[in-house]
Amino acid sequence: MHKRGGVGLAAFDRQEQSKRSFAELSTELSQSQVDHLHAQLNQFQTALAHFATNYRDSIRKDPAFRHAFQQMCSTIGVDPLAGPRKGGWWAEMLGLGDWQYELGVQIVDICVSTRARNGGLIEMEELLRLLTKLRGVNGGEITEEDIVRSIKTLQPLGVGYQVVTLGDGSKMVRSVVKELDEDQAVVLAIAQQEGGRIVEAILVRRKGWTRGRARAALENMLLQDGLCWLDEQDEECGRSYWVTSAVKWDG
Amino acid sequence: MSFSTFTTPTGFLLPSIHSAPPFFTQQPHPATNATVTEQWSTLILTYARHRKLFVLRVEDAETVDNEWQEVLRNERINRKLLPSYLSSIIATMVVKNLAIYDPPGQTRSALLYWRLPEEWAEVLHGWAISTGQLNTILTFYEIADPPIPSPLSNIPMSLLRKAIAVLSKTGRAQLIAVADGEGVRLFQGTGK
Repeated sequence: MHKRGGVGLAAFDRQEQSKRSFAELSTELSQSQVDHLHAQLNQFQTALAHFATNYRDSIRKDPAFRHAFQQMCSTIGVDPLAGPRKGGWWAEMLGLGDWQYELGVQIVDICVSTRARNGGLIEMEELLRLLTKLRGVNGGEITEEDIVRSIKTLQPLGVGYQVVTLGDGSKMVRSVVKELDEDQAVVLAIAQQEGGRIVEAILVRRKGWTRGRARAALENMLLQDGLCWLDEQDEECGRSYWVTSAVKWDG
Repeated sequence: MSFSTFTTPTGFLLPSIHSAPPFFTQQPHPATNATVTEQWSTLILTYARHRKLFVLRVEDAETVDNEWQEVLRNERINRKLLPSYLSSIIATMVVKNLAIYDPPGQTRSALLYWRLPEEWAEVLHGWAISTGQLNTILTFYEIADPPIPSPLSNIPMSLLRKAIAVLSKTGRAQLIAVADGEGVRLFQGTGK
């Protein structure tokens, strides 16, 4: 049988020799790979810095651009909001983290200041309108998507901010720690279509509920959650409920 | 539905909440009730200041055609504040020192503090200075019904008495008994 390196004692030496050579070669190779990676990373960082300085304003001002950018980030698995402790240069350079947190603070501001009149539940459209007003013309345009994203960044605070989607697809932002049961979600959706006013008869007619179920849902919202106001002078039914978050207040 | 502000015939701008039907019902939820009642007391004080009204009675919600009807009723949505709720609003205002039951010992009629007695004291003192009536004796009647209308025109006697009491404490007024009732002498005071 032919053995590589021949036979005899000298063969051991030769074998050791070639092992050493292979090891050297492998170190050399991985070193060059690391160097290459470093170079790539540097290049990426430079390109990113370039991108950030060029498009920083566009990202903050233009919602369509911001959307495209955020999609790109999620495709390549990068979190543009990563804090200073993990990959901070990304967030720092773009200023997107600050932008997003600022929006979050503004959302909290509006939710808290309107809580007295809407019971801690605000229509997405109304929130967007108030946010735009609060930020002024220089704040740039914002979209529903920005709000949803900002609310996600608030989640670690554990204050219960949540986007609730109603049966008819419309969205509301809830700022109180409270579970909406299914019936309440239905009542909210119908109240929005009715402009705020809701009575048992509407629920019976449109949803086929029994009177008892309709009354229980409405009274719960009124007495336990403060999500609606009572009107005891209703011309038609004598007693009606007003979901104030579904009402538009001018001025 | 959208609720808007409304300007009344007397030129008062009613807030949009005044056109919301449930605004006229006392709310069973405590937090909601506190919010709505707070809105009512602000509205009542602002309107009182606008019309220079000093007194609010529970019966103002029972009768029609009184000076409060623009606020206590909303004909456009066919709603009115019920006397029981008005009574509760007044009670809250008394607790917050925005009003005081006058005369004391009943809960049907209140004096509204759209200016506190301390503020009325300054108004009275300023008026006496600007009209050159320091150091002379003024009857309560002369203050509450002056020949030239003043900010103090129609001020109720009980409120005027409180204002004078405030000035007396700082040595700027002295109550004096005059032939047909009460009078007061106002002084420059100690540079305060």
